[in-house]
Amino acid sequence: MENSQLGNHYRFATSAKQVTVAGLILLACLFLLYFVISTSMVQDLFGYSQQIHARVPTFFIRLAVAIVAIGAALYFITGFSFYKRNKIAWAPWLFLALGLGLFMVYVIIPIFQSMSYSFTKWDGLYDINGVWTGEWVGFHNYKLLLDDPNFYTSLKNNLLWLVLYMLAVPVGLFIALFLNQTVTGIRIYKSLFFFPFVISQVVVGLIFTWAYNPEFGLLSEFWSWFFCETKENIMGNLTRVCSVEPPSILGNEHSATYGIIAAGLWPQIAYCMILYLTGLNNVSPDQIEAGQLDGAKGWKMLWYVVLPQLKPATFIAVVVTVIGALRSFDMIATMTQGGPYGSTNVLAYYMYDQAVGEGVGRYGYGSAIATVLFLIMLVYISYFLWQMYQDEKEAH
Amino acid sequence: MFPKPIEQRSVGSRVAYNLALPIALLLWLLPLLAIFMTSIRPASDIATGNVFGLPSSFQLLQNYGEVFAKTNALRYLINTLLIAVPTMLMSVALACLTGYALAVYRFKMALPLFFLFVAGNFVPFQILMLPVVDLSVRMEVFNTVPGLVLFHAAFQTGFCTLFMRNFIKALPFELIESARLEGVSEFKIFWYLVLPLVKPAIAALCVLIFTFIWNDFFWATVLLQEDSSLPITVGVRTLNGEFVQQWHLVSAASLLAAVPPVFMFFLMQKHFIAGLTLGATKG
Repeated sequence: MENSQLGNHYRFATSAKQVTVAGLILLACLFLLYFVISTSMVQDLFGYSQQIHARVPTFFIRLAVAIVAIGAALYFITGFSFYKRNKIAWAPWLFLALGLGLFMVYVIIPIFQSMSYSFTKWDGLYDINGVWTGEWVGFHNYKLLLDDPNFYTSLKNNLLWLVLYMLAVPVGLFIALFLNQTVTGIRIYKSLFFFPFVISQVVVGLIFTWAYNPEFGLLSEFWSWFFCETKENIMGNLTRVCSVEPPSILGNEHSATYGIIAAGLWPQIAYCMILYLTGLNNVSPDQIEAGQLDGAKGWKMLWYVVLPQLKPATFIAVVVTVIGALRSFDMIATMTQGGPYGSTNVLAYYMYDQAVGEGVGRYGYGSAIATVLFLIMLVYISYFLWQMYQDEKEAH
Repeated sequence: MFPKPIEQRSVGSRVAYNLALPIALLLWLLPLLAIFMTSIRPASDIATGNVFGLPSSFQLLQNYGEVFAKTNALRYLINTLLIAVPTMLMSVALACLTGYALAVYRFKMALPLFFLFVAGNFVPFQILMLPVVDLSVRMEVFNTVPGLVLFHAAFQTGFCTLFMRNFIKALPFELIESARLEGVSEFKIFWYLVLPLVKPAIAALCVLIFTFIWNDFFWATVLLQEDSSLPITVGVRTLNGEFVQQWHLVSAASLLAAVPPVFMFFLMQKHFIAGLTLGATKG
């Protein structure tokens, strides 16, 4: 009895050797990281003349040392008896350490930093001693926002995006219904229909910029079928003469935003379609049969029997569409850069333009715009998390 | 199955359906087809308004060759790979660890931390932009590819953790419990028992993250400035400025940027769709 207790005690004791070795490695790494490896050291070592080229090797050396340090730290902790006695409580934190640490540094903490920037006037620079050059201005940036017509245009366009982007959900559903058959080759059709989502939004933006081009784009071609004819001019070249000139969708401040949203809908519909196709795959055949026995057909069947079962798919489709609408940036940047006359700005693009656009470095003002966008998004994020929380509670 | 299978309908509607399919597809992909046709035309065709007809001469090799010869397109493509592949490896590896921690251990903070990852994944990029730029400058990784990779890896860890945690949660917990009773160390349970079981999730995440990062535009514009380190998405946008009105070249460059993700999608279709539709069938 006593023997086994002794044995138990021995098993849970701190492993002195492990702790010493890991501790020494850890200390050595920290020493290297903080005092030795600087860009100038690597510059000397590799003989780089310009600092910018020495940054990458410095980074890699630091990264390697940091990885060794983290490994040593984890090994260090597992050597102690407090860890061994209470493994189940400590282990998750060791598994989380790296990922959570990185996520905190790059995602969670910056959210609050941005919010604090929004109360300052700052151009993003430090003076030569590394001292922050901004000044604290309280709610000044928010007051400016209220008088900024561009801000209201952006807000209005964000709303327009939110509302019109939602079309992707029903359209995606109908394409999914159309494709939910078992004829030969349907798999290829399904994946080809999904295509637009896979390609970059920048490329989609370029494709549509070309398609909208009033001189030689896709739309002008359709236009010329109805309103134009090709004539030979006196030089013997073929030219197009139109009774009504084709519209310049992106050049007109009233139609440009609609043009970009239409382009954005293309990949978004594809995404919603694939969500619904997966959902339709899992619709229970029993319930369909039961519905048929009750005389439900067509629309009624869709509305009362199928759609309720597609609820999880609809939920995800709505969430990704809302997030996509509020995040719209790439297309605006490629298609109009906010123009003509700022008419296609949305909060996301306007913030970028104000903070790092040409000639302006309004970090504080940009952050205020970003904070407003974040607060709008927070409504949807909270709703999503609340739904997830309900699901989690149900699961237990 | 809904709607009613077409085989059970009249011959007429079956024929109609089989005809409608290719027409619908053609209309759906019309912009893509048209841009492909444009990319193999000579410049003269575009000036005369030949959009749908056959090209007056096929210039596939000339146009694409010109894009490579006149611009840094090859460099951009390599850069994109240098950004996408390490990001993919890092975020998936980190998410295996965090997902395991959040799914297997029943500690009080498990759910709040999980929600933190999920919420962080949905925030607008703009709220992170300036602090991330500032942080990168202070860490001396601003305007370098590793700096961009580090950020992408951190950000994508949020989505990957969401995915991994739910996947591991669905594994039979008894397996892990019995291994613990055997006295297997926590890390060994993770390494030898759980990791082999989550291989499908790893595959799905790899394809998704690769595509996401390949298609990223915003962060590359913000964190990179030197032309020699730009990825293809930003590169193509710059080319658009250089090749004013030379749409045959712009379209060729755009398609070059689109090919790798499309290829990846076809190769790993099952995993890709499994990843994207996560949660669409639950409940």
